[in-house]
Amino acid sequence: MRRFVADLHVHTLLSPCAAVEMTPRNIVWHAARHGIDIVAITDHNAGDNVPAALAAAKGTDVTVLPGMEVETKEEVHLVALFEKPRQLFAWEKVVAAHRSGRMNDTDRLGAQFVVDEEDNLVAVKEEMLLTSLTLSLNEVCDQVNALGGLVIASHVDRPAYSVLSQLGFIPPGLALAAVEVSRRTPRAEAAKRFPAIGGLPVVTASDAHTIEDFLSGPKMAFNLEAPTLAEIRQAINNENARGVVL
Amino acid sequence: MTVNDLVGTLPLTVVAGQDRLAAEVTGGYVSDLLSNVMGFAAPGSVWVTMQGHQNIVAVASLAGLAAVIVAGGAVPEPETAAKAETEGIVLLTTPLSSFELVGQLYRSGVKGQ
Ligand SMILES: [Zn+2]
Ligand SMILES: [Zn+2]
Repeated sequence: MRRFVADLHVHTLLSPCAAVEMTPRNIVWHAARHGIDIVAITDHNAGDNVPAALAAAKGTDVTVLPGMEVETKEEVHLVALFEKPRQLFAWEKVVAAHRSGRMNDTDRLGAQFVVDEEDNLVAVKEEMLLTSLTLSLNEVCDQVNALGGLVIASHVDRPAYSVLSQLGFIPPGLALAAVEVSRRTPRAEAAKRFPAIGGLPVVTASDAHTIEDFLSGPKMAFNLEAPTLAEIRQAINNENARGVVL
Repeated sequence: MTVNDLVGTLPLTVVAGQDRLAAEVTGGYVSDLLSNVMGFAAPGSVWVTMQGHQNIVAVASLAGLAAVIVAGGAVPEPETAAKAETEGIVLLTTPLSSFELVGQLYRSGVKGQ
């Protein structure tokens, strides 16, 4: 068992609101240099830059987790994390079938770049990513879990796009593994400041859109046997001697 | 004015709470942020929203609202309708946009508080 530093919510330049410096290669390079062992790549409603991040991490000590920040039809942001790339690919198919049909407006919203592990431009994603899918909160949670993934409610301490701002409280029985607080809330104070969190585990992450965010933003430290999602799931729940390092 | 008066004059469909249409309407509120509704909607109001999630029922119940109107042709989730029925909340839908509906509500005498 050893300590792993994890950032479970990082955007690449595929997200229209992220800086172009957020290439998978650059994220992995900074992670390796700054002792960030686990990085989840979580772009808005898309996973196209995950393969490049996985390729960039090959041969390094950095583990990349395939992920996505999903926007439900209630305009709630959720971080979906997967163990295996094929689980994410299966999820991307579900997402593709539930898009708004609108195309991105690069001038107004920002560009959506797909790149390879050496920062070469592969494609410009045409679909508008910064908008809600037609899937409900419950549908996203159920389907991500059915694919073997895990769902964390994004930035519940923020006034926009959070399950608490949109829906007032967390619907009982929702298949959430945890809630996330942003840098504006110390993790230890989250449950007190936001009683609606109830007994759910609380995690924090950088939600980085720039390298500066990535390096300075909050992260988790877990005691794990290996840098896998299955281990993180146990650590979040304090199971089998896995846990969160305070 | 009662919910039934509104159902009789505006393009509203009753999805749940048919037996509660006699409830008195004392005001109106419009918001799609349920956290905001919980803080600011006055009891007895009709609430206009685009959200169809089942949490709207609990929020309406907590705030003591006369009815929830899901606007813009949005379809409440099946669990929402079922929950509204068991909790005794009047749930209505309308093809009108929130803006249009609120205009017509206002003209019918429903005011903000
Ligand atoms: Zn977000
Ligand atoms: Zn984000």
